[in-house]
Amino acid sequence: MAVEIRIENLTKTFGTTRAVDSISLTIQPGELFFLLGPSGCGKTTLLRCLAGFHIPDTGSIFIDGSEITRVPPHLRDTGMVFQSYALWPHMSVRENVAFGLEMRKVPGPELRKRVDEALAMVKMEHRGDHKPNQLSGGQQQRVALARALVVQPKCLLLDEPLSNLDAKLRLEMRGEIRRICKEAGLTAVYVTHDQKEALSIADRLAVLENGCLRQAGKPSEVYHQPISRFVANFIGETNFIDGVVSGICEGGYRVKTAIGVIEGRGEPDAFAVGAPVLLSVRPETLMFTPPPPDSPNVFDAEVHDTVYLGEMAQHQVNLRATGNGEAPISLKAFELNPRILARDTVEQAPAWFHPRDVVILPPDAS
Amino acid sequence: MRNTSAWIVFGFALFVFGALFLWPLFSVVQGGFFVDGQFTLRYIAGVFRNPIYAEGLFNSLRLGLGTTSLALLIALPLAWLANKYDFPAKGILGGLVLVPMILPPFVGAIGFQQILGQYGALNAALNLGPVDWLGRGRYWGVVSLQALALYPIMYLNVLAALANVDHAMNEAAENLGCSGFRKFRRITLPLIMPGVFAGGTIVFIWSFTELGTPLIMNYTRCASVQVYDALLEIGSNPFPFALVVVMLATSVTLYAISKALFGRQAHAMTSKAATTFTATRVRGARGWLVALPFILVISVALLPHFGVILTSLSPPGAWYRTVLPETLSGVNYAEALGHNMTLLSIRNSLFYSVLAVTFNAMFGVAIAFVVVRSNLRVRGFLDALAMLPLAVPGLVMAFGYLSISSFLSNVEAIKESPFWLNLFDVRNNPTLFLVVAYSMRRLPYMVRSAVAGLQQTSVSLEEAAANMGAPPLVSIRRVTLPLITANLIAGALLAFAFSMLEVSDSLMLAQRQDFYPITKTIYELFQLIGTGKYVAAALGVWAMVFLAVTIVGSSLILGRKLGALFRI
Repeated sequence: MAVEIRIENLTKTFGTTRAVDSISLTIQPGELFFLLGPSGCGKTTLLRCLAGFHIPDTGSIFIDGSEITRVPPHLRDTGMVFQSYALWPHMSVRENVAFGLEMRKVPGPELRKRVDEALAMVKMEHRGDHKPNQLSGGQQQRVALARALVVQPKCLLLDEPLSNLDAKLRLEMRGEIRRICKEAGLTAVYVTHDQKEALSIADRLAVLENGCLRQAGKPSEVYHQPISRFVANFIGETNFIDGVVSGICEGGYRVKTAIGVIEGRGEPDAFAVGAPVLLSVRPETLMFTPPPPDSPNVFDAEVHDTVYLGEMAQHQVNLRATGNGEAPISLKAFELNPRILARDTVEQAPAWFHPRDVVILPPDAS
Repeated sequence: MRNTSAWIVFGFALFVFGALFLWPLFSVVQGGFFVDGQFTLRYIAGVFRNPIYAEGLFNSLRLGLGTTSLALLIALPLAWLANKYDFPAKGILGGLVLVPMILPPFVGAIGFQQILGQYGALNAALNLGPVDWLGRGRYWGVVSLQALALYPIMYLNVLAALANVDHAMNEAAENLGCSGFRKFRRITLPLIMPGVFAGGTIVFIWSFTELGTPLIMNYTRCASVQVYDALLEIGSNPFPFALVVVMLATSVTLYAISKALFGRQAHAMTSKAATTFTATRVRGARGWLVALPFILVISVALLPHFGVILTSLSPPGAWYRTVLPETLSGVNYAEALGHNMTLLSIRNSLFYSVLAVTFNAMFGVAIAFVVVRSNLRVRGFLDALAMLPLAVPGLVMAFGYLSISSFLSNVEAIKESPFWLNLFDVRNNPTLFLVVAYSMRRLPYMVRSAVAGLQQTSVSLEEAAANMGAPPLVSIRRVTLPLITANLIAGALLAFAFSMLEVSDSLMLAQRQDFYPITKTIYELFQLIGTGKYVAAALGVWAMVFLAVTIVGSSLILGRKLGALFRI
């Protein structure tokens, strides 16, 4: 029942701006797929191309194997949840949900049954006769979801569906959306700029920048193996350290940096000795426990700023090679269950990170 | 909106405007510059050289400037007070202050004369002899009647402009030590200039070419009356054409200046009002002091209407050299209803107006869709085109329609067919041209209200309908139209009301009694010796009630947005 969505070499320009720049992408049947990126990266334009509100300049879109690139929106059979919900204010909740079934000429009894089911699925069965403006933001969101789902669309398109909700509701609804998509076995494309939303519920995600697809993969892949500075920086927080490849070690490379040699992970033959590179080290990978014997990547850390958050502490630390007092570099570090550095008395401690947590990236093009 | 349908609407609009708007204007201009196929400036120059026409033009200019200044003088303080204070009975007074708009000033002139005339109520009340309050030449009579009828347009424009001023701008001025009148002059006034100019342009174009009021007030030495009087010679005398060309040029120039100065919103607010400004609540003596100007203006402005109502209730001759009519009766209404001329005229006006508004509603919505929802490069042009009828006085349009009607009825093929002659020759049957004139002149109101409605309606509501499988026309019928109904009804009501009481086209185009609309009948009745004036007043009251109901209806639907309809 679930369908595949295939995007081939899609380009859409507005004036001189390339909002979507030759993107190719295949979304597997039943997958909850996220388009992620900063505002203006083209993610919404891409979604609107799928819905048919934009006709791309070049490239093709296939849903379930058939090309729909130029099919008008009302014949595409996609269900879309709009950022503003776009509930029709002159219709009741039931009328909103029933509209799509009416358009599909579903007979009365079945229509009523399916509307009831859809409202029950989003737990709105008692609000059928309310007008949209009598509902809270979260309730409107559920109705918008029910309206999109009740027609049993080929795929579900969600355009920042949670951006107008408060933080707590957002957490609740994102689990709900995943549950509903999985229950219905739908292929869904979800646009957001909130990386937490994407990491937490996506099956796979794609990171877009300036209309281009930068990286696609499972959340953990993209988080742990970003392929560029932009992706590493956009997904989660990270520290960048400039360096030059100085040698090869097991599973990676040795990189000479301002604070000495750091061992990191990288595919063989990806970098030549002497090549400039960029190291990405996530703040949570910096350890303040005693390092194992013979561990590489051990430094002296000096805390100069701490934000205490309860379950963790965010430190700004100056890292320098052990023993010598040369110029340090400043890094961000997260200490979970903070007990070591968060005490006021401790200002200096050894710090280390595992070579598998150091990602070696090509240097910036810019 | 798909491009093909947008282009179809655009093409149709070009055709309609070409045939029904530009052609008549072109025909007027041609009549002014070409005589017997020869280009000549003789008649245009002649208008300025001939002392009678020159005086007429000069007087019309004086009428326009005087009316506009007086209307501004009335409207500006009222709008300022209404924006700043919340005073007792503000809702009612704010509504009543718009009421004078509901009666064409020329009907009010009948009542005005009863009160201020030589043998009128004021002289009787003051126990004076036959003092002529209206003055020689009756210039001030015409100006005050027009200003008292047109100031609401100014008031609505200024009030809307004031409401748009970000209150933070005023606060910033105060913070820097500028307050009171200096703040008004240096900060507020420059910011509301677009509104003042927009309202002023409409009032000027209206009063500069107003025909009904000078006719009733017997102020004959102005260009509009001179054109009207020369109608019979339209085939042989190029002077009326030249006169109309000069009026057209003046109006269009003014409109263009106002567009160039303020059309692109020179003072566009950089931000939406960040601090919410609530009107200062004043009650008790201070409150009524603020309300006083409203009460004064309303009483003076409603004086003509009051006079018309009294005239209509007074048996012929019962209101002469007395403060109030000696007896009151419904005899005029009985006569008005029994008079077959009045009943027929009501029927005619309804027929013309319904046709005009139906066409307007459909055409206006289609234009608004292209303007708001398409991405045609030409949509800005279309929007401007649809607004153009505001720049052209009704008198000029009427003259243009007369001119093309006389051209068409001389075409051989048409001359020989009674059917075509009936359609195109206003001397036979003015229905087509009256309906066309009514719709073209009121189209801007319809377009503006539809555009406002569409702009308030999020596109994603229509996209959601398409996404749910609704084809474009179904989406328009089920989602868009229901959401902009309020705007459409308001726009249509307004267009309808104005069509029912349209003056210049009605006076000029309806030439046979069985096709007279209400306004022409009122004018013709007024000229009858004897009971005519009283029956005319009764018909005027009927029209007043009718218009009050429609305007109040549309303002209830539109609320404060009513002002948006009177902006250019």
